[in-house]
Amino acid sequence: MEIFLQQIVNGLAIGSIYALVAIGYTMVYGVMKLINFAHGDLVALAAYVGLTVLMQAFGMHLSNLWAVILMFTVTAMFISLFGIILERLAYRPLRKAPRLSAVVSALGASLAIENGIMLIWGPNIKVFPSNIFPSTRWHISGVVINSTQIAILLLSIILMIALYIFINRTKIGTAIRASAIDQDAAKLMGINVNGIIIAIFALGSFLGSIGGLFIGIYYRELYFQMGWIYGLNAFIAAIIGGIGNIPGAMLGGMLLGIFNVLIAGYVSNTWSEALTFALLIIILIIKPTGILGERVAEKV
Amino acid sequence: MKLKNLLWVVVSLIFVLSFSSSYAAGVIKIGVQAPITGPFANEGQGIDNAVKMLVEQQNAKGGLLGKKLEVVTCDDEGTAVGGAICARKLVNDGVIAVIGTYSSTPAESAEPIYARAGVLQTSDATADSLTKHGYWTFFRNSCPNSAEATFTADFLVKKMHFKRIVVLSDYSTYSSDLADATVAALKKIGGNVIYKGKIQAGSQNFTPILTKIKAMNPDVIYFSGYYTDGGLIRAQQVALGIKAAFVGGDSNDNPEFFKLAGKSANGVYMINVPRPDILPYPLAKEFLRDYQAKYHMMPPSIWTLFNADGLRAIMYAIEKTKTTDTKKLAAFLHNLKNFPGITGPITFTKDGERAGSRFMAYEIYNNNQYKVVYKED
Repeated sequence: MEIFLQQIVNGLAIGSIYALVAIGYTMVYGVMKLINFAHGDLVALAAYVGLTVLMQAFGMHLSNLWAVILMFTVTAMFISLFGIILERLAYRPLRKAPRLSAVVSALGASLAIENGIMLIWGPNIKVFPSNIFPSTRWHISGVVINSTQIAILLLSIILMIALYIFINRTKIGTAIRASAIDQDAAKLMGINVNGIIIAIFALGSFLGSIGGLFIGIYYRELYFQMGWIYGLNAFIAAIIGGIGNIPGAMLGGMLLGIFNVLIAGYVSNTWSEALTFALLIIILIIKPTGILGERVAEKV
Repeated sequence: MKLKNLLWVVVSLIFVLSFSSSYAAGVIKIGVQAPITGPFANEGQGIDNAVKMLVEQQNAKGGLLGKKLEVVTCDDEGTAVGGAICARKLVNDGVIAVIGTYSSTPAESAEPIYARAGVLQTSDATADSLTKHGYWTFFRNSCPNSAEATFTADFLVKKMHFKRIVVLSDYSTYSSDLADATVAALKKIGGNVIYKGKIQAGSQNFTPILTKIKAMNPDVIYFSGYYTDGGLIRAQQVALGIKAAFVGGDSNDNPEFFKLAGKSANGVYMINVPRPDILPYPLAKEFLRDYQAKYHMMPPSIWTLFNADGLRAIMYAIEKTKTTDTKKLAAFLHNLKNFPGITGPITFTKDGERAGSRFMAYEIYNNNQYKVVYKED
C-alpha cells in the first residue's frame, strides 16, 4: 500500500507538469486546428532561460525566494512573448494554406528552437542548482513527499483553476471559446480573431514555461532535446483528455502521469512507454474524441 | 594570368615537398589514429599531443636505431568509416605502428586493414571483441569491459559484502553488456542479484522503478549507464529515502554527476580506471609534469596515458629488438612482462590483451573528494 501511494504521489507531480504543457497543445488546437509541435521545445527553452535568469539573480546576490520569483516572472514573460513571435513568424503566414503546410512549419520551428538551444547553451547537459527550494521531506506512514512536489502540485492546480475561470467567466475567455467553435461566426460577431490567437499562444506558452521551470526545479537536468520527450507526453495527454478541451488536457496529464508510474511500477519499466501508447490507442478506439472531448462535426 | 602563375608555383611547391618527404630516408614513421574532431575531440587531441610529446622527447635523445621518429596523424572522427579511411591512409604513408584510437568502433573497423598490412596497432578501446579476432597486430593498452564486470562483482561481494544487489542499466549496447557481464560475474562468485532492470536514458523520471526497488529492500544499487542518468537516479533514490548504497560504473564518473546528485553524491562508490593525477607511479608524475609544461593543461583523461603507454611499449620493443620488422616487434610485445608504464606495469597476453586490471573503486565524500577504497593487484 505504501508503495502504491508513493507511486501515486510521484505520478501526480509529473502528471501536473504534463497537464500544464498539454494545455498549450489543446488551446492552440481548439482555435486553430493546428498541432503546435514547437510547444515542447518552448518548454525546454523556458527551462534554459529560467536557469540563466536564476544564475544572473544569484549573481546579483538576491535571496533564494526573490531569485525564484524573478526567475518565474522573467521566464514566463519572455516565453509568452516568444510564443507570440513564433505564431507571427511560423503560423500566421500559413493561416490560409492547407493544414499540412502549417504542421510542417511547426516541425521546422521545433527543430529551429531545439538547435538554437544547442547553439546558445551548448550540447552538454546543464544542471539547476539543488538548493533553490528548501528541500524538506515528510514521511507520512512510509510515503515520502517533498516540498518541491507539493509546490508543483499546488501551483499547477491554482493555475489550472485560474485558467478555467478565465476561459469560462471573462469576456476574452468567452471570445476564445467562440473562436474555437467557429472562427468565421466569431469574426462576424466582432471578435478580433487575430487578437484571440495571440492571446492563446501567449497563455499556452505561459503555462508551458511554468511546466518547463518545474522540470528544471524537480529533475534539475536540462538537455537540448528534452522538449521532444515532454512535448510528446503532453501531446498524448491532450489527446487522451480530448484535444481542444481544456479540462480534458488537465485530466489527461494527471491520468498519464499516474498511468506511467503504475505501469512502470507494477507491469514493466521496460514496457512503460509502449503500454502508454497502447492506452492511447485503446482510448481512441473506445472514444475517438478523448475522455472529455465533444463530438465536433467536421467542417466541409 | 597572375592567378595561373600562382597556381603553378603552388603545384610545383607541392611536388617538391612531397618528394622531399618521401626521400627523407632514415625516419621511423609512427601513426596516430584519433578523433581530432567530433564529440570525442578533446580525447583525440590528448592522444595526438601525448604521442607528439613522447616522440619529441625520444628524438631529443637521438631517436631510435639511429633514426628520427616522425608522427603522422589521421582524424577518424570517432566513426567506423573514418577508422577505415585512416587505416588505409596511414598504411599508405608507410607507418610501422599506429597509436589509438580512442573508441571501439573505429578501432575495430581499422583492425583488419592494419593486420593485412602488418602495421602494429595499440588502442585504449574497451570492447571485448577487439582482441577476439586473432589479429597479431592488435595490442590493447587499457583493459576490456569484462575486466570491469569482474572487478565490480569482487568489489560488491568480497569487499563490501552486499547481500541484496540491484543491477540497473540503460538500453545502450555498452551499458546493457556491462550489466549482463556484471550479473554473470556476480553469479560466479555467489552474489545475490535480487533485481535487474533497465531505464530509458534521458527520461529523467526514475521514481517508478526506484519505488519498486524500495519495496525489495536492497543493500546496493549498481548502475552501469551514463552520468546524465546516474546522477538523477542517485538524487531520486535519496529523495525516496532508499538507504541502499549506490555504485556507479565508469561512465558515471563525470563532474556533472556530482552537480546532478548534489548532496546525495556523498557516499557514492564509483568504479573506474584511476584518474591521471592519482596514479602512484613515478613515470606518471613525470609524464603529467612534461605534458602540463608543454601544453599548459592536464591530459583530458586517463585514456591519453594508456595510449602513451602503448607507444612507449612499441618504442621499447624497437630499441630491444633493434629492428622495425613488425613481426619481430609483435613477437617481442606478446612476451613483454612487467615493463614499467605510466599506468602501471605492462604485460601483454598472446592475444594482445593487456594483462591485469587497472580498475579501482572510489568513495565520494565531503563534496566530491575521491578516496580509493578498493583495488586489485
